[in-house]
Amino acid sequence: MNRARILAVAGKEWREILRDRLFFTMAFGVPLLIMLVLGYGLSLDVENIPFAVVDHDRSELSRDYIHRFSDSRYFHLLGYAENEGGLSRLLAASRIRLALVIPDRFQERLLADRPVEVQALVDGMFPYRAQTLKGYLDAIGAEWNRELLVAFLGRTRGVTPERAAELAAPVRLQTRYLFNQALKSDWSMASGLMMLVLMVSPPFLTALGVVREKESGSIYNIYASTVSRGEFILGKLIPYVGVSCFNILVLWWIATAVFHAPFKGDPFFYYLASVVYVICTAGIGLLVSILVRTQVAAVLLTMVITFIPAMLYSGLLVPVESMSAEARFQARLFPPYWYLQIAWGAFLKGLGWRSLWLPVALLAGYAALLWTLGLALFHKRPTR
Amino acid sequence: MRDWLRRLRVMTTKELLQLSRDPVLLIILAWFFTADIYIAGSGISMEVKRASMTVVDLDQSEASRELISRFRAPRFQVKELLFAEKEAAARLDRGERMLLLEIPPHFERDLEAGRSTEVQLQADTTHTVLGILATGYAARIVGGYATDRALEKLGIDDLQLAAMPRVEARRRVWYNPNQKDPWFMSISELMTVITMLSFMLPAAAAVREKERGTIEQLAVSPLSPFQILFPKVIAMTLAILAGTAVALFGILLPVFEIPVKGSLPLFFSVTALYALAVSGLGLVIATLSRNLGQVSMLVIVVLMPMLLLSGAWTPPEAMPWLLRELMVISPLYWFIELGYGILLKGAGVALLWKKAAALGLLGAGLFGLGAKLFRRQFR
Repeated sequence: MNRARILAVAGKEWREILRDRLFFTMAFGVPLLIMLVLGYGLSLDVENIPFAVVDHDRSELSRDYIHRFSDSRYFHLLGYAENEGGLSRLLAASRIRLALVIPDRFQERLLADRPVEVQALVDGMFPYRAQTLKGYLDAIGAEWNRELLVAFLGRTRGVTPERAAELAAPVRLQTRYLFNQALKSDWSMASGLMMLVLMVSPPFLTALGVVREKESGSIYNIYASTVSRGEFILGKLIPYVGVSCFNILVLWWIATAVFHAPFKGDPFFYYLASVVYVICTAGIGLLVSILVRTQVAAVLLTMVITFIPAMLYSGLLVPVESMSAEARFQARLFPPYWYLQIAWGAFLKGLGWRSLWLPVALLAGYAALLWTLGLALFHKRPTR
Repeated sequence: MRDWLRRLRVMTTKELLQLSRDPVLLIILAWFFTADIYIAGSGISMEVKRASMTVVDLDQSEASRELISRFRAPRFQVKELLFAEKEAAARLDRGERMLLLEIPPHFERDLEAGRSTEVQLQADTTHTVLGILATGYAARIVGGYATDRALEKLGIDDLQLAAMPRVEARRRVWYNPNQKDPWFMSISELMTVITMLSFMLPAAAAVREKERGTIEQLAVSPLSPFQILFPKVIAMTLAILAGTAVALFGILLPVFEIPVKGSLPLFFSVTALYALAVSGLGLVIATLSRNLGQVSMLVIVVLMPMLLLSGAWTPPEAMPWLLRELMVISPLYWFIELGYGILLKGAGVALLWKKAAALGLLGAGLFGLGAKLFRRQFR
């Protein structure tokens, strides 16, 4: 390894990045833009769900019941339908996700102390949304029934409203949300997005950097030069890893300053762990670039390898804990899973070296493996 | 006119040949439409299963044991039962447990005396999905227990229950009655794959000619820019439709057993329309950039928000108003509405024609813009 030669390759690469102005802008701009857009938009909250009602009763009580839904931030009343057929059309056209059918004599029966059955149709297309919706339905319904019971007890047993309330709900659940008190997905999402962005952008930069030379043929200059394989790869990747290391800071700033995610951990630890992660993901790009010859193939292959693990198997959108055993094992094979532990640990839980040394060590091992493989597979005497 | 069609056909054949001679690309295509969709659909679920919990029972009474016994599989898993608070919270902090349920002393005594009491649940909500669902289920369990105790205390049995005012909500879940996640996940992934490919392939094919200089040859040929551009799109769309058929008949239907309610020809027509619309977007990008490096960076900028915000992976309703409105310019938004509508909901043309028209309009606009920008490069 000759330092001067590494620096020469790195210098050449850096100048190339600088002179392709669009590419240069985007090397910094893409992570920033994605972080901002997804940070604002990507959210797992189930709120503002459009629903429609068929109210066969049209009484004061039925309107009151509907208001329980429309007044909550979870539901948004789109309107009333004439009959059940209208509701099923609205559901099929995805205009609404929930439909309520209130039978006639709703008020009459309730006032006469009789039970009433209301029908709720839930759109099951997106199972997570359906599950959450059912939870809201139950909660609103339970609260309504509790109030009915309180009023009923007051009337029939002659107890005071306070006493009736105590009798109607003898046990209450007090819930405390740890680490994410407002239960806003923003906090988890903003810190988690660092994982996604740093998984996708470094490999693209490195893969394109190497394959570009292959496709244009300028790599033959390298083959014919005194630069060794190791020097070439190192020099080639240093600028890209450098760009991504700078991007870590920008992303961290966005997560904390723009999205107000609390950062409770040790910044130095987190930065170091992120650099290890970036080296690791850049290694993925390196490996891709060695396997393929064209840039199209490089881009597509990078998408395949980075996107799915980062989105589905990292734990960002889909909880790893509730996957099947094989899927849980698969998730642990990919670096994003481990980096997400680090990101959430450092941001929300304030954890540091003591609890998170294992993920960092695994990422470092991963990086070493990828780079060694890349080095071993890169030849200056290509067979093809 | 006959010449025109012949040129189109010849160019399309050329594009298909070119595609078929890139083995790496073909392998990637095959992977995308089979294994990738299988991986995304199987084993993945957004459900609370075996949420690990620690229970601190400071009462150790029959009532507390009864309540604890209601937290059971498959949703919850009581990992340990402690009788003192010591050490319990630390397990949560270390991330070993997700929930901590604490039952206060005198729990049973208060219940017997008809005083209301409070149990406490602490939840690790780092993961929002689990946080929302698990606390929801816990609230339901405690609520159910409270109702049972209240009725028992008041001496109200089932018979008397019929003489009480209450609203029973009969819930029915349509289109996916058992809320099977693979149905949703695999279709979402198929749409993601179609999006990526119809974005990337025509754009790459167009810019590659620019990079290699073969565009000069085409420019001096008797072909019009449209005749150069459109065959690329036709060829890639054909490849994508073939891939979609493989995914649908090879994975979605046999493996995940998705009951297709609507018409498959309609689904394929919509897919073709969508692929055309997205390739128009790809062409716009291809004309804006000089090399593939630039293309792929631009593609990521457009693709990631489009994929993640259109509703393929998260409920779109909770997005900020502005973004939600902006999503109407995302072709994927319309494709999701149409695709799920046809496959899972069995919606037909009568219900969907407006959405299909919107997608077609968007596609025509994007494609027209792409072709116009591309044409300008020849001058």
